[in-house]
Amino acid sequence: MNTFVDLYSTTSATAQLRRAQKITEEENEEFSDGSWGSQAGFGTIVKGGPSFMVPNVPDPTSFLRLHTDDHADPSCRIKIQHGTTTLAFRFQGGVIVAVDSRATAGSYIASGTVKKVIEINPYLLGTMAGGAADCQYWETYLGMHCRLHELRNRERISVSAASKYLSNLVYSYKGMGLSMGTMICGWDKTGPAVFYVDSDGTRMKGDLFSVGSGSTFAYGVLDQGYRWDLTDEEAQELGRRSIYAAGHRDAFSGNTCNLYHVKENGWQFVGNYDIAKMHYEGNGTGAGPYGYEPRITGEN
Amino acid sequence: MARRYDSRTTIFSPEGRLYQIEYAMEAISHAGTVLGVLATDGVVLAAEKKVTGKLLDLSSAKDGGYGGSGEKLYLLNSNVIGGVAGLTADANSLVNFARSAAQRHLLTYNEDIPVELLAQRLCDMKQGYTQFGGLRPFGVSLLYAGYDPHYQFQLYHSDPSGNYSGWKATCIGANNGTAQSLLKQEYKDDIGVKEAIGLVLRTMSKTMDSTTLGSEKLEFAVLTVDPETNKPKAKIYRPAEIDALLLSEGLTKKEDDAEMKS
Amino acid sequence: MENSFALVGKGYLIVAADTTAARSIVKMKSDQDKIKALSPHLLMTYSGEPGDTLQFAEFVERNIRLYQIRNLYPLRPSAAASWIRRSLAESLRSRHPYSVNLLLGGYDIASDDPHLYWIDYLGTLSEVPFAAHGYGAYFALSLLDRYHDPNATLEEGLATLKRCIDEVSKRLVVSPDKYKVKVVDKDGIRDVEL
Repeated sequence: MNTFVDLYSTTSATAQLRRAQKITEEENEEFSDGSWGSQAGFGTIVKGGPSFMVPNVPDPTSFLRLHTDDHADPSCRIKIQHGTTTLAFRFQGGVIVAVDSRATAGSYIASGTVKKVIEINPYLLGTMAGGAADCQYWETYLGMHCRLHELRNRERISVSAASKYLSNLVYSYKGMGLSMGTMICGWDKTGPAVFYVDSDGTRMKGDLFSVGSGSTFAYGVLDQGYRWDLTDEEAQELGRRSIYAAGHRDAFSGNTCNLYHVKENGWQFVGNYDIAKMHYEGNGTGAGPYGYEPRITGEN
Repeated sequence: MARRYDSRTTIFSPEGRLYQIEYAMEAISHAGTVLGVLATDGVVLAAEKKVTGKLLDLSSAKDGGYGGSGEKLYLLNSNVIGGVAGLTADANSLVNFARSAAQRHLLTYNEDIPVELLAQRLCDMKQGYTQFGGLRPFGVSLLYAGYDPHYQFQLYHSDPSGNYSGWKATCIGANNGTAQSLLKQEYKDDIGVKEAIGLVLRTMSKTMDSTTLGSEKLEFAVLTVDPETNKPKAKIYRPAEIDALLLSEGLTKKEDDAEMKS
Repeated sequence: MENSFALVGKGYLIVAADTTAARSIVKMKSDQDKIKALSPHLLMTYSGEPGDTLQFAEFVERNIRLYQIRNLYPLRPSAAASWIRRSLAESLRSRHPYSVNLLLGGYDIASDDPHLYWIDYLGTLSEVPFAAHGYGAYFALSLLDRYHDPNATLEEGLATLKRCIDEVSKRLVVSPDKYKVKVVDKDGIRDVEL
């Protein structure tokens, strides 16, 4: 009977010990010996590559389906952030990355100041759509491996290689509940590059992508205004306007727009823009308001 | 000095040799001769049987099976005949492995295994036994006579170390040196199966220790392509067929004739 | 909706696949090449579950390349088809099956003739004179039953393929607008503009 109590008690000595053991185990799993050095190329074999914890139940997939918000069941306990608009495009002057900043949980706005651009390193940006935690965790993890690549190979990882690493990684968790739709953006030897990677395991190279519930609205503005030879200013304005459009029309996107510009020497944060302000006042250069109504009434 | 390294296949001697493998090859050079000749339209194999005697029951070799007496020549797959020289028990194990490997290939690729690939499969295994601890290498050399659509007719030889090589004509087992120099003199690049059969039998009759040449001492096989179905046709001769062949080639020796009369 | 077509003619084989990559209602890319050259005379189209498609195609590509490196000659189309079928059939009963449909076509150097294989995610393999995957198949198969000629010249073969593509564009609600077309014959693989 005592052993039975011990097994399920959270304060007994054995439980504490077990917890301590588990923590050290987790630490070992997080950073396998392979992470610390080349190990003559056999580093990853030691622990069989990266791993992370999955729910300790017989079927993690159905567990997640039961406890996270599915379209079928809005009443469940864990909410995953779904509504988003993110976009990135390549042009003559580099890459523009623009995102909104709203986090919704079910029907209410959980935050209006979310950072949806993940700064992987000074040359790589990742965008966040789908599960915020999934994107944040795995893109930070990707950052670690990009750094290791630099240390081992004495040169920066290409955007192609970094995105392939991420895509292979999420593909290995396919069907286990990961949810991410991300653009890996950067500048490497080949110039500016944008790759779309999602948790299905899809990976695509392209000039222009938009991801999230507001992506259709963003595409509407983006596609019409896009040209390869946009100037830096035009490109930034196009990114802003596109996010504004989605923030205005999509209930799950909005609040502010974060804008980044990737150039040959790495990325630059351009600014944070209030979408409501853009609606009524424009971008502050005196070019007029973005919103339809204010624009029309202003003209009249 | 060498003695210390004799019993270890996995350990080099100070001169950089692996004695056990050399001994295995030595054992093979005392085994029954196996001879192969590659022709333009087929491959011919012949082998000298060592286990003979009046009391040996050969009734199973007369009919049934694929032909042959089951000592030296084996059908490895429908497109490959194998000839073995060396320890018969080891050979049986290798033949079994080869047949499994060929079937495995058929299962995955739905085609006959290419001849070289089959030789490679066996050599991978043979090589393993020269490297891993406490194991004795296979005391067997093989000849592979085969056909595949990639390289048509082929003849390969593999030895206990796991080396293999392709040949136009070659010989393993006792007196292989004599046989090979005879083959070198007589072989022509445009040789056909008919002439190759003659060449093989003549060479065998000259190199075999025994004075008689008959089905009791000889195994024989030919691999051709069936002109109608365009598929490889492996024929391992039965004792009666060998005697008939020898008669038609005029190679039946005097003593044999006397025996047949009685 | 993904569509792919293939047909054999006299001494050649034509393969076509659409070039769109779509996520839900959005077209994310319109120049995606979904035909892989597995060896100098072997082509494969792939469609199905996003992620699985490319992963499986690359898995096949690497294994076929490995065979060629090891044996100096590439696998024959029939052998490659059998191997791929087996991989899919084994995958089907695994924890994470690949949901990928394939058309495999190649020119067999050894027997000097083209071969086409239709393979689905369940591991069904069948050698056919023409084939299609996707909703386009519902229009193309009857059309090919009527118009395909195994002895047609390359020009006639391409014309038949164009019939398929035009018919699908005409009748299918969500039809792709662009296709990539490749031909394989005794001289190898080349791209073709319709």
